[in-house]
Amino acid sequence: MKPRTFGYFLREALHGLVRNRLMTITALGIITIGLFLFGIFLLLTANLRYFTTLAWKEVEVRVFLQPSVTDPATVGAQLATLPGVAKITFVPKAEGAATLERLFGQQGTLFLNDENPLPDAYTLSLAEKADPQEIAKLATAVPGVEEVICGQDFVEFLEMIIQLTLIVGLILLTLTALAVLYIVVNTIQLTVYARRKEVEIMKLVGATDSFVRWPFLLEGIILGLLGAGLAFLLLSKGYGFLVHRLRLYRRFLPLLSGGEFQTHLMVALFTMGLFFGGFGSHVSLKRYLKV
Amino acid sequence: MLIAKDLTKIFSNGVVALDQVSLTVQKGEFVFLVGPSGAGKSTFLNLVIRRDNPTSGLIAVNQQNIAFLKKKEIALLRRSIGVIFQDYKLLPQKTVYENVAFALEVIEARTRAIKERVYTVLELVGLLGKAHVLPSELSGGEQQRVCLARSLVNKPLLLLADEPTGNLDPDTSWEIMELLREINRRGTTIVMATHNREIVDQMRKRVIALDHGKLVRDTPKGGYHLEA
Ligand SMILES: Nc1ncnc2c1ncn2[C@@H]1O[C@H](COP(=O)(O)OP(=O)(O)OP(=O)(O)O)[C@@H](O)[C@H]1O
Ligand SMILES: [Mg+2]
Repeated sequence: MKPRTFGYFLREALHGLVRNRLMTITALGIITIGLFLFGIFLLLTANLRYFTTLAWKEVEVRVFLQPSVTDPATVGAQLATLPGVAKITFVPKAEGAATLERLFGQQGTLFLNDENPLPDAYTLSLAEKADPQEIAKLATAVPGVEEVICGQDFVEFLEMIIQLTLIVGLILLTLTALAVLYIVVNTIQLTVYARRKEVEIMKLVGATDSFVRWPFLLEGIILGLLGAGLAFLLLSKGYGFLVHRLRLYRRFLPLLSGGEFQTHLMVALFTMGLFFGGFGSHVSLKRYLKV
Repeated sequence: MLIAKDLTKIFSNGVVALDQVSLTVQKGEFVFLVGPSGAGKSTFLNLVIRRDNPTSGLIAVNQQNIAFLKKKEIALLRRSIGVIFQDYKLLPQKTVYENVAFALEVIEARTRAIKERVYTVLELVGLLGKAHVLPSELSGGEQQRVCLARSLVNKPLLLLADEPTGNLDPDTSWEIMELLREINRRGTTIVMATHNREIVDQMRKRVIALDHGKLVRDTPKGGYHLEA
């Protein structure tokens, strides 16, 4: 494409946007809102995921050995080879007692007498994505193991929240997407109508179909990208503010932040803007531009 | 230049607009296409520029069968054919110059060539002095001359005119006819659909008459009606 031709397309596209000012503003508003919602959805799910990965790292499986075991190291070696186990930590009975004492003070150890009835134990840290239930089952089967306790309830709750967010989010986004498409299609239809005479003459003097189409496509694409830019601006400012306000609670509520994350958000929004703008005008041209 | 053989057009509503029309127009000819309303004149011209496709039969322009063209080829075909209309089809927000230049811009002609060609054709139709005027400030005859200039700007081999004098008074009509005659004299083949009996009778050119889609007469140097 010659630069002059592209200049012509761009001029016509901008002309179309200015000609239907009211429609352009309405469309831009709706696209921005749609992409803003999409962005919120992305931020929410990304943070939930991030939070979950952090939580997974905290999940531990505790394995208590039978009192009769005299050589805990052998059992430990077996436990370490189980699939999904990242690290094992030996917790000897003495330490178990110390922990109890720390937690409950002197009373905690009162019942212990001289004999420490606490068994030796191991704490298993899990590899990412490993299923604690599965590991617990395997660990129970290891000879010398008395009991296994695992604590993944919270993480499973998080996983469920993510699933729920995905389902509700996708339904809402589908509706939003339809609204965005609808408004783009209608905006372009107005331009097609306003330019119908020009288009007729262009066709008659031998302009190619793509030459006729490009200004309309470009108009939709510009709309989509402008909407994406606005949505990104709102989101990154708003989210930055949120992260800043919540920085004190970072330990309990860790939020994703940083340049890479912003880039991802930007790419996602602009891709969506491009897609909806381009696809919307394409649909409109299919329906209203008889070339 | 233009060949039709058993050319038939049946619209989807069942109207037979052209019925087995066969004709040949040689390079450099001036041909009137006459016939009552609904005879199929516009339909024929529309087939020549592929605004419509034939139902059956053959149609060739410049030795190229145009019955089966890809979209891109249709665009190229149209660049070799000029068309003028009863309603001029000018863009009201563009000046005379811009209206004519538009035809070259949208086929991506070189900028320098555009300027040169536009001024050449505006001079030919006698509108150099009104190059930067809007169509709304022009008379009907002048608007038709702009339309003519636009149709000629890409140096077509064939010029189609669908009732170009339909909206003009007799004197102005003759101005347009003089221009067409001049353009034809310079080598452009012209096919003109018209109801204007006086013009056809006086020009003494080849006349092809259609009636209800059928070719009913083809006389060299003929008149509007069959002479006794
Ligand atoms: N798009 C269309 N769909 C259906 N029928 C059509 C269509 N265009 C034309 N016709 C019919 O085809 C026939 C020929 O029409 P056409 O316009 O070619 O006539 P014409 O000779 O140009 O008439 P006029 O002198 O009034 O311009 C008419 O009966 C018309 O109603
Ligand atoms: Mg007609």
